[in-house]
Amino acid sequence: MVQLVGSLRKELADSLSACRVLVVGAGGIGCELLKNLVLTGFKNIEVIDLDIIDVSNLNRQFLFQKKHVGKSKAQVAKESVLQFCPTANITAYHDSIMNPEYNVEFFRNFMLVMNALDNRAARNHVNRMCLAADIPLIESGTAGYLGQVTVIKKGLTECYECQPKPTQKTFPGCTIRNTPSEPIHCIVWAKYLFNQLFGEEDADQEVSPDTADPELSWNPADTEARATASDQDGDIKRVSTKDWARSTGYDAVKLFNKLFKDDIQYLLTMDKLWKKRKAPLPLDWLEIQKLACPQEVTGTGLKDQQVLGVAGYSQLFSRSVETLRSMLADKGDGAELVWDKDDPPAMDFVTAAANLRMHIFSMNMKSRFDIKSMAGNIIPAIATTNAVIAGLIVLEALKILSGDVEQCRTIFLNKQPNPRKKLLVPCALDPPSANCYVCASKPEVTVKLNVHKTLVLALQDKILKEKFGMVAPDVQIEDGKGTILISSEEGETEANNSKFLSDFGIRHGSRLQVDDFLQDYTLLVNVIHCEDLEKDVEFEVVGDAPDKAPTPPGAQEDKNVANGNKDSAEPSTSSKAPAEQDDVLIVDSDEEEPSSSTMDVRMESGGHKRKLHDAETGEASAKRQRLDQPLAADEEDDDIIALD
Amino acid sequence: MAATKTAKEQKYDRQLRLWGDHGQEELENAHVCLINSTASGTEILKNLVLPGIGAFTIVDGHKVSGEDVGNNFFLSNNSIGRNRAQAATELLQELNTDVSGNFVEESPDKLLDNDPEFFHRFTLVIGVQLPESTCLRLGSVLWNANVPFLVCRTYGLVGYMRLVVKEHTVIESHPDNALEDLRLDQPFAELKSHIQSYDLEGMGKKDHGHTPWIIIVAKYLEKWFSEHNFQLPKNYKEKEAFKQLIRQGILKNEKGTPEVEENFEEAIKNVNTALNPTKISSGVDDLFNGEQCNAITSQTPAFWVMTRAVREFVQNDGGGNLPVRGSIPDMIADSEKFINLQNVYREKAMQDASVVSKHVESLLQSVGKPSGSISEQDIKLFCKNAAFLRVVRCRSLAEEYSVETVNKDAITCSMDGADGEMVLYLMLRSVDRFYQQHSRYPGVYNYQVEEDISKLKLCVNSLLQEYGLNVSVKDDYIHELYVFCRYGAAEPHTVASFLGGSAAQEAIKLITRQFVPFNNTFVYNAMSQTTATFQL
Repeated sequence: MVQLVGSLRKELADSLSACRVLVVGAGGIGCELLKNLVLTGFKNIEVIDLDIIDVSNLNRQFLFQKKHVGKSKAQVAKESVLQFCPTANITAYHDSIMNPEYNVEFFRNFMLVMNALDNRAARNHVNRMCLAADIPLIESGTAGYLGQVTVIKKGLTECYECQPKPTQKTFPGCTIRNTPSEPIHCIVWAKYLFNQLFGEEDADQEVSPDTADPELSWNPADTEARATASDQDGDIKRVSTKDWARSTGYDAVKLFNKLFKDDIQYLLTMDKLWKKRKAPLPLDWLEIQKLACPQEVTGTGLKDQQVLGVAGYSQLFSRSVETLRSMLADKGDGAELVWDKDDPPAMDFVTAAANLRMHIFSMNMKSRFDIKSMAGNIIPAIATTNAVIAGLIVLEALKILSGDVEQCRTIFLNKQPNPRKKLLVPCALDPPSANCYVCASKPEVTVKLNVHKTLVLALQDKILKEKFGMVAPDVQIEDGKGTILISSEEGETEANNSKFLSDFGIRHGSRLQVDDFLQDYTLLVNVIHCEDLEKDVEFEVVGDAPDKAPTPPGAQEDKNVANGNKDSAEPSTSSKAPAEQDDVLIVDSDEEEPSSSTMDVRMESGGHKRKLHDAETGEASAKRQRLDQPLAADEEDDDIIALD
Repeated sequence: MAATKTAKEQKYDRQLRLWGDHGQEELENAHVCLINSTASGTEILKNLVLPGIGAFTIVDGHKVSGEDVGNNFFLSNNSIGRNRAQAATELLQELNTDVSGNFVEESPDKLLDNDPEFFHRFTLVIGVQLPESTCLRLGSVLWNANVPFLVCRTYGLVGYMRLVVKEHTVIESHPDNALEDLRLDQPFAELKSHIQSYDLEGMGKKDHGHTPWIIIVAKYLEKWFSEHNFQLPKNYKEKEAFKQLIRQGILKNEKGTPEVEENFEEAIKNVNTALNPTKISSGVDDLFNGEQCNAITSQTPAFWVMTRAVREFVQNDGGGNLPVRGSIPDMIADSEKFINLQNVYREKAMQDASVVSKHVESLLQSVGKPSGSISEQDIKLFCKNAAFLRVVRCRSLAEEYSVETVNKDAITCSMDGADGEMVLYLMLRSVDRFYQQHSRYPGVYNYQVEEDISKLKLCVNSLLQEYGLNVSVKDDYIHELYVFCRYGAAEPHTVASFLGGSAAQEAIKLITRQFVPFNNTFVYNAMSQTTATFQL
């Protein structure tokens, strides 16, 4: 460490070789970070990542080579670093950091934890573990040319969760199933369809027409007409999409006609839906084949960036169904496929199905390249940004280890020097928010919900796990008797899952004590009973930024129907998604209005400052803010999604 | 079909989304020269090898030292004593088999003595940790050969970059807040007749609710023009009145309450930007009036031939306007209406581009060049981006370093400001002076630190005096003396990593000719995590 003695104090250089640090994530930032750490003089490093290496990582994750594709990122990263720096002492874990083995005791082994993650669930979790263990944490993320680094220290700075973040955008079931109006709705539908046909079936991912659409106010005559329609066409009353598909032997033509003709004709019988909307146009396999038009191709360049015609997508649909069918068959009975944007047949299927549906609903079709971005929530990622960010992380680490946490900053990396000629924008760290439901001394939240309509399971999965980021919550009702509503021990309270909160005497003003032992985290939940939540909203955290614009008064009548309709529940996000790909929805910002932003804003305070800063320089604009959001939205490097 | 992907497409998927396949092609055709494979040098090159530049050549006369191995990831213990260029090439090459790696075991000075033309072959030369004299010599060779030169330096906790390029033209500058090019204030004939084909009053409810907002704004603008002497709504009040006019057009139900028509809402929302008058920005106008545009010769680069052709278009065919861009934003509309409208713009853009193409052809002919030497595709891309053309012209190193042409104002202004980065720049210049006098950097040996501080102070003073810089000496700046002496010209890896990322990013901008590179000096302060750019 010759060169360090010059620029760093000797004591600091010594402490680097003695201290133990944890790097969470061995992806784009993780690879750079490991290199920087060993070459700065860190000797004892542990690295954890549950991911394996993909070809699309190789343009930036320089510790990996083609021969490593399919292997553990953490393990290969360790081996590659040791090749260059044999004296380092590195421990690699091919595992999820959310695994209970990595408890508070584990975290206490480290002087410092550095996140190089790509999803919010893991970030929330590490934030809590570091708070519980009182270990400083450096948080970071990049998206394309943009990047961000910040420092979290219990009691001194804001924690990762101090500022409420808008919940990940989900779409009402009936929009997906009945009335898509944007390409993303069709893409989500196509991904659901993939799971319904080839993957794990999920009741929240229905793709067939939804007869309980709240927009169809209850009218006996309508219902009767629809009943008749469905009698005539037995296929619509299928038990499950998968069983039906299997019974046809995954016949692509039958599937096509069912999905793009029969189901659409059925939707047309719900004429209320089409009074103000443009009605969908059913497609018929035979007619399309008759067209047999030469493939109309728009756009030049790579194959992926071309838009095929309806005929082309019908062909692609049929071919991908055939490929997926045989893949499924090869895997044996009861096997399931997992959708992966980097798996060509799966991506082809979603491209074809989404485009056909877009065509049916009068939207402009999109290229495979664009659909991949939206379906996989791909965030562009390059070596240069990760290198810059990893450089910044280590400098912040040095400040922390020299005892200068006060000198630490939240740093934003711009695409190019801003009008004040700054490429980097450092901001002082904010103190913890007194109302934070994570790092306050006695965390407390207030949740609005309908106690008669909220299931215990929904409380556990959607509110406690998904919204409040817990891993294994225990819930006790503060009713004087200490009734245990949910236990994290298996087999103790499962029977409660399908009951409503009101069945346990929970009502307006009830208080629930929620514990997560792994995270060493206790949260007091105040319940406010509310009968008139917005359509498709199951609960609302008081004080959160509202995600949706207020509904016009005219829509009020619909709400009771909505509440009674289990299928219109919001498609759930993270609880079903594989842990490594569950973040931020970053879809297609060009078509979203800023007000209905789909982005998960990480480090809201930071984003806020950035906007202020930009405003100062007269640079704020809608487009600009969109660019900022993915940054604030973080994204280490990869992919990331939120919608499945 | 779109089903199969090449291995490259897969590997580069995440970056194609930033610079496209044509940007990738430029990268793959590039040959980059790196001088000195120190930690900063290999970090920069790593970030160029990963995304797949075509080839690199490392020029380095040094042997690998123990110090190198300590801070350079691409040099290992068993390479100590070997030539540094070769050792680094071997390991960098492993990162990406698509890249061709070469090395020259010579110092740049020797090459400049014997074969200065050696450097002419490169797309870009990146010089790292160069002594001032070498930097200036190389700078002048490259300047005369029109090869871009990126000077990079890590000095303790300070990072420095200097871009030296006579002229760098950018067609795709990727502006952040580009306005759409809709021509609603002066619709072209085809757009006019397309707008005429709509009859908002006479159409059914469904069609009314699916008419693109561009048509809606255009329709109400006609109405507005007839009532307002053909003047656009200019101020806030008039724009509000215009929005109200559109709002009144929303259909009403039997009871007289307005229906929900999202396309009308969209029209109202877009009024502000849609009513921006079509005009040519001063930046583009400057290009039209530039010397390069006036005097087209057989040597004139394609960029300027096309700029001139667009100028001809503006003056002769476009009625004072640039070629129509041809794209419209996504909007609420049914497919048919949207595609029809899109085609109106797209076809007009194609027509305009082919007129420009004719001008290109006759310009090329007039200087005796084959008419196909600029492709149709390039012309189309150029027309599409005509409003965003950018030209970056840096000052030469000679200009920066000469007492006559030094940019005193920039230096003194930045010194007065709160930013400390200008002080760092002056310190770097001072340690170079120290090196010239003592053949070593200050603070390299611990026992000399105290002594070096006063020597360095003399260098600072003589620098300021020589350039006649009347800058106030702050406490900070005394502090910098100590700090700089403590650095001993070290290259901490984490600062090198930062610089490696930033410099490679600029290199990619230069190579792909997309996005706008900085002009011309960049300083990074790793202590405060701040940066600044100066035009020196």
